[in-house]
Amino acid sequence: MGLPLAPDTQRIIPALSYDDASTAIEFLCRAFGFAESSRLEMPDGTIGHAELTLHGNTIMLASAYPEGGLGGPRGLPHLHSFVTVYVDDVDAHYARAVAAGAEISEELADQFYGDRVYRALDPEGHRWSFHERIREVSEAEMQAAIDEGGG
Amino acid sequence: MVQNPPPNVQRIVPALAYDDAPAAIEFLCRAFGFEEAMRMPMPDGQIGHAELVLHGNTLMLASSFREAVGIGGPRELPYLHASVSVFVDDVDAHYARAKAEGAAIIQPPTDEFWGDRIYRAEDIEGQRWMFQQHIRDVSEEEMAAALAAMSAEGS
Repeated sequence: MGLPLAPDTQRIIPALSYDDASTAIEFLCRAFGFAESSRLEMPDGTIGHAELTLHGNTIMLASAYPEGGLGGPRGLPHLHSFVTVYVDDVDAHYARAVAAGAEISEELADQFYGDRVYRALDPEGHRWSFHERIREVSEAEMQAAIDEGGG
Repeated sequence: MVQNPPPNVQRIVPALAYDDAPAAIEFLCRAFGFEEAMRMPMPDGQIGHAELVLHGNTLMLASSFREAVGIGGPRELPYLHASVSVFVDDVDAHYARAKAEGAAIIQPPTDEFWGDRIYRAEDIEGQRWMFQQHIRDVSEEEMAAALAAMSAEGS
């Protein structure tokens, strides 16, 4: 019945809602380096489903859909999720995002768990965490750092 | 040589917040078939970071930190701003397990016009999930025609 998936197919994919999905797509491509791979427009001009790819992985997004209980995060008191992205060169990625006007919520820094990380908000307030793994850290070493307050 | 991204971590990973992260981990493993790969408890018992794996891909989660970072479980929110989409090998078997374990089903398994068989569910804190299995390849032309037909029906 099912069709086989390639072994390296991404299985777990974030799906984000935007009040202005077209503007969000433009920003995500310009600031974060995504490439648009599909877009299904509804007759009313909203986006029913779009996919953007980066390093061969996908995010899904769509226009706000109040009947379905989904919308952009601006109107919410807090976020309930965010997106983590592993890039090849987080310094270059950071420079590009800053130049494109992304709002940096946490400056680029080496973290105790072995990643170099910065965090940013996109124009509608979705939170993004961009990572590059730069050092192998054992789970024991990580837990020790947390217990010392490093987490 | 450092592996970037780390093993079993795809490039783009959803990260979810839960008010009771240990209970959420137990539920996600029991109902949706995840396996716990890592858990970093904080000195106060909260979970600073945990990773669950399914089909060689990772889901990240953590306890709610509404005040410190503005992220928390979705229960009191009027609507959600994101969901998680998961490609499984057998969506009907996955559905049967999730339903038996008490997942709140929003939409039972349905063949969709874009070629996937899907169901939608909420977990115990109201995070929203879509599980899908690709069952048919559909051309963009066919998809556009299906959308047009749906909107003609709906209007």
